Amino acid sequence: MITLLKRLLGSAAVLVVVLVLNFFLFRIMPGDPLTGIVDPRFSPEAKQQLAAQWGLDRPISEQFVVYIREMLSFRFGLSMMTGVPVWDELKNRVPNTVALLLPALVLSSALGLWLGVKAALRRGSIIERVVLLSGAISFSFPSFFVQLLLLMCFAYLWPIFPLRGTTSIPPPAGIAYLFDYIWHMALPVFSLVILGFGGFALYIRNMMVKAMGEDYVLMARARGLPYSRVVWNHAFRGILPPVLTILLLSLPGVVSGAVITETVFSLNGVGRFLLEATNSHDYPAAGAAFFLLALLTVACNLGADIMYVLVDPRVRRESSRG
Amino acid sequence: MVKKIFYYVRASILMVLMFLIPAHASAGVDGASFDIFSYRGPKMKDLYYVITRDMDAALLAMSTKKLDVLSDIYRPGDIERLAESDFAELSAASSFHGFFVTFNVRKFPWDQTVLRQAASQVVDASRRQWTRDLFSGYCEPLSSFLPHISPYYEPMTERLPPGAPSARRHLADAGWTWDRAGWLVAPDGRKVPPTRILCPPSSVAATSTEIAELVSEALRAIGVPIEAEPIDFQAMLARVDVHDFDACTNAWTMSRDPDVLYSFYHSSMDVEGGYNMSGIADPELDSVLHDLRYAPDEPSARALASRAQKILSELMPVIPVYSRYSVSAIRNDWDGVFTTDRSTSDNELTLISMTPKEGGERPIYWNISEEIRTLNPLVSSSAYDWTVLGTIYSSMLSVNPYTFEDLPWLAESWEVTPGERGSIFTFKLRPDLKWQDGRPLTVEDVAFTIEFIKDNNIPRFFDTVKDVESTETDERAGTVRITMANTSYWHLHNIGGMPVLPKHILRNVPDWRAWQPANRPHTALDGTKLTELIGTGPFTFRESRTGEYVRMTRNEHYMLSGIGEARAK
Repeated sequence: MITLLKRLLGSAAVLVVVLVLNFFLFRIMPGDPLTGIVDPRFSPEAKQQLAAQWGLDRPISEQFVVYIREMLSFRFGLSMMTGVPVWDELKNRVPNTVALLLPALVLSSALGLWLGVKAALRRGSIIERVVLLSGAISFSFPSFFVQLLLLMCFAYLWPIFPLRGTTSIPPPAGIAYLFDYIWHMALPVFSLVILGFGGFALYIRNMMVKAMGEDYVLMARARGLPYSRVVWNHAFRGILPPVLTILLLSLPGVVSGAVITETVFSLNGVGRFLLEATNSHDYPAAGAAFFLLALLTVACNLGADIMYVLVDPRVRRESSRG
Repeated sequence: MVKKIFYYVRASILMVLMFLIPAHASAGVDGASFDIFSYRGPKMKDLYYVITRDMDAALLAMSTKKLDVLSDIYRPGDIERLAESDFAELSAASSFHGFFVTFNVRKFPWDQTVLRQAASQVVDASRRQWTRDLFSGYCEPLSSFLPHISPYYEPMTERLPPGAPSARRHLADAGWTWDRAGWLVAPDGRKVPPTRILCPPSSVAATSTEIAELVSEALRAIGVPIEAEPIDFQAMLARVDVHDFDACTNAWTMSRDPDVLYSFYHSSMDVEGGYNMSGIADPELDSVLHDLRYAPDEPSARALASRAQKILSELMPVIPVYSRYSVSAIRNDWDGVFTTDRSTSDNELTLISMTPKEGGERPIYWNISEEIRTLNPLVSSSAYDWTVLGTIYSSMLSVNPYTFEDLPWLAESWEVTPGERGSIFTFKLRPDLKWQDGRPLTVEDVAFTIEFIKDNNIPRFFDTVKDVESTETDERAGTVRITMANTSYWHLHNIGGMPVLPKHILRNVPDWRAWQPANRPHTALDGTKLTELIGTGPFTFRESRTGEYVRMTRNEHYMLSGIGEARAK
């Protein structure tokens, strides 16, 4: 309990640091949020009016207070790019990003896990070769190339999937809309699974190969336990903590890295919004997006810690002692 | 080598063909005989602005009839793919885009006019070749301060002879020498220090980096120790803002009016937030640019624009390099495509005239390559947003697509008279104009739009209305009289080109900054459910799905629709 409390306090401290850095880093960074809005037809007076409109003419301390108030109340203010509340912008995009990333992450990790374990158990088999090859492919080919190739094959030459977006134009009504949505998300999700499972399988395979050679696995086999129990209850359980850590900590990175998939398939997601907000120095939007990403990272970290305690009795014992 | 020549020849043929299309499409019509009111439409009922960010996906969509109109095509590979396709018709026109190398004339060595002139001489010799090598013929070399398409474009005929030998002679004549290593020494004995051309990195703008390198190489040939320095674009702008640079690359999209020269080259614009990046400050140029900004009429504006460009070609604070062609494509199963040599097919007249060749009714799918950021006309400055907003809102004047001259639009006539302090514009509105919700458009709407913008200091239109002293309306005569605080020929274009917004909507806007008219319901006179995005344009806004599409339907009250035709008769 005390350990958990310590972790919570540590996470809160991280969030405070992120909040402060978020404010100052964006303002120290070269560039001006008004650059993307004005053009040579704007006179310096008009630019001043614009700065006043966004409160950029106020003292930095005053801006900081407003910023902290907006962040802690989860209001986030208006996006300078769109004039729409940042919260509404995120609400529009988060479902698409979740619909893209969650199935992709679940499917690629499940497939990677299954193939990785199989490859470790059947050294030299065709499964191991598939794992090695898919791992190499996922590390060697840029994602946009693979995705464009898939788009070309399955949306153009053999048009079984749509070319763009999350919905048909015009969208169908009722339950058909749900199927239409799934149909639109299928190819982007499939592309992420293709790109993701290989690396994960390779990682699992390597760890499982090592685990299968450990003394405790040998002991379990010597005890005459069924093979599947040796594999899943002993060897796999041994590698579970680092696997969970990798999975959970990859989540924030995947969200921000979704930008390429969102661009190629013209999806309206958070990754693209984050990139545009950062590039155009949209302080409220970028601040909110980075704050939420930090929250996600901290939550995943906490989640990983809790999972560690749940799956590894050694950590549980240490925690209860400490 | 043979392959390269073949490539150029093919590219040149394609460009010639694209420029011939307008002549064919609008044969028999020219600027003088063009009558915008002879057009009727919109012919189609539904219009979808589809957001497809990836150009490859957009091209695939066009080939499978999922997209009808594609704008902003600039990659040579895409232009060739479309030109060779059997499903699309391309159109090209010169544009208002210009790419420049800007010198910081506030410090040595680029404060030396002779050196800048010599730099322009070496660029003059290579500009055509660079443009051809980098853009395969899909951009045109630019040697003037206004693009060729501008009605005020001044060909620079009195330039110094091009080439490095001539540049070296020009420098030598002015007392410049070279040290033993071959680097330049100014007449006062100062050695030219190593300098840099800031440019965006090649990952962001490959051609900008290449041009910076080519210009550096050309300048080194006359003894200027200069290198290209690719840096992050925002970092580059920040350094330019605080004058921490020697030279940089930049690109602008200008407009038909030459008063933009004031923003770029008048000394009063060399301030924080100003666009005089080079820092040029010349009393004669300042005087001419000031007079140009406040030119009383077209002939004096023309003479002053010409004079300003001539002075600039002597001072050379920037070196023009190239201008991009505007290229658009439209599926070839549509009739009614309108183009001119100055306007590509993605224009309002095409939009209202389009009909499927096979007949019948079909939605138009018009691509937008970036997400719509906001549909609030008071704050939006994005060209993508205005693609949609431009279909909804109209202004009092329009522009002749052949000559760029003013055309009557919501205003059937206008008059400019001198007042006590400034010009007075009297616009007479067309009778029986209606908003998309069926309510009548009156002179009160025009006056209220101007007053609302002025009272709220709305930055987007601040410069347009800041000199408006008063507005008076005469409902019975259908005229609005706008008195300006000073005289300027450009006031007519600024005021006449401003979108007119409905008073009955605008007066209820609680906070113009956060106003999202597309999300606020509004009921038309006939009971139809609309939103507050109400204008007089050819299509009425219906629905927007962020990042996906904007759906619009035909405005039956549009002044060029059949109803309008009946009224006109």
